[in-house]
Amino acid sequence: MIRFIVFALLAAVALPAAAERPKGTLECKPSGTDFVYACTIRLTQGGKPLQGVKITLGADMPAMPMAHNIEPVVAKPTSQPGVYEAKLDLEMLGLWVVKLRLSGAVRDQLILRYEFDQQGARPATAGARDSMPHGSGMPRGGAMQHGAPMPQGK
Amino acid sequence: MDEFSIGVLTNIGLISFLALSAYLLLIAGELSFGQQAFFGVGAYTAGMLTAIFGWPLPLAALGAMAGGAFAALLVGLPTLRLRGLYFAMATLAAAEMFRILFELLHFQRDIDGDLVGPDGTQGFRGIRWIFEQGIEPIQFLALVWALLAAAVAGFVLLERSRLGATLRAVGLDPELAASVGVPILRFKLGVVAAAGALAALGGALFAHHNTYIEPRNFDIMLGVHSLAYALIGGLGTALGPLLGVALDIGVLESTRFFHGYRMIVFGGLVAILLALRPRGLLDERIVHRIGEVFSRHGAARR
Repeated sequence: MIRFIVFALLAAVALPAAAERPKGTLECKPSGTDFVYACTIRLTQGGKPLQGVKITLGADMPAMPMAHNIEPVVAKPTSQPGVYEAKLDLEMLGLWVVKLRLSGAVRDQLILRYEFDQQGARPATAGARDSMPHGSGMPRGGAMQHGAPMPQGK
Repeated sequence: MDEFSIGVLTNIGLISFLALSAYLLLIAGELSFGQQAFFGVGAYTAGMLTAIFGWPLPLAALGAMAGGAFAALLVGLPTLRLRGLYFAMATLAAAEMFRILFELLHFQRDIDGDLVGPDGTQGFRGIRWIFEQGIEPIQFLALVWALLAAAVAGFVLLERSRLGATLRAVGLDPELAASVGVPILRFKLGVVAAAGALAALGGALFAHHNTYIEPRNFDIMLGVHSLAYALIGGLGTALGPLLGVALDIGVLESTRFFHGYRMIVFGGLVAILLALRPRGLLDERIVHRIGEVFSRHGAARR
């Protein structure tokens, strides 16, 4: 009986760690084509790279949810564990909510809020605008990798 | 069905609640640019009830509907004395007030090591009831459309009833309706509350489908679209707003090759359509004609 109680207590302590939610970061740089970004996704769970997950990326402009969005794309796994790549065709610059829908080994949805501009993507701040003027277009080639710290998607 | 199609159909279903909410007010003779506020109230209320307080979604959706109806009554009480464009402007202002309130709302709690709850302009993450319950996207789609079908059935029954006839009469000529004893203000308050509850139900489902909401989800753009759906689809039947949403999302999805310019193309199409058919595709005349054809067909068979 005592052994059962000890086991139950240990299980109760261990379970939350096992059920820890995956976390994701996003790093995007212009691909050379207007409004198309090459993105790298890093997934972890419990601090370890998360592998064997199918990631479907979608993106919504917050000011017009459900209507102003992009066609979802499936990210491809790379040779590095927990690292995936995908191209996002965003149609315009500005604030986008990127959704990572995970299926397979883990089923979840991570939300990443990013501001996309000519340099790449950076975590959106509280005062971020929904969209930016199109006129200037995107830089061709010479893509800059953004060095800003990436928030953890939850 | 692939994930993309499920997503599009779910979105059509979710926006349809908002379009039906705007339609209900339109047939009562009121033009509201503010239904997105009650959609937002529903989203925040249901999101907080499931994610923070652990309520099941069905109960949370009922709570959201009550919240939406109450918020709509709060807006309706002072504004329903206004007429036409003045009412429309008042609803727009009220909706912006709600959006700013969402921006000021901070109520986060630690749930399993994550901060969950509204965090002002940074949004509200972690509305994960459907993931925790293992509900698949196709099942959620079925839930959305079942509730939508129930709402449309309710409209069909309403429009065949005496209450529905009164609603149309109030919308077409409130003075005449008042002269035969209809308490216009009380009646319209009931309509406003029902429309608020309907929008809030859509918002509750939207929050759980999206798992994340933020104040700018509920800004004027959504309000204008919801009104446009009802006007494009037509004011003759509750199926009109659904047709409007299907056309909107359908046109937007099928014109992706226009890239960022597709919103301009869509706007042009809406302008042309409303110039040619000011009361929408399924207006009262068309619906009456379709009804006549069916009744003639039925009589011939008998």
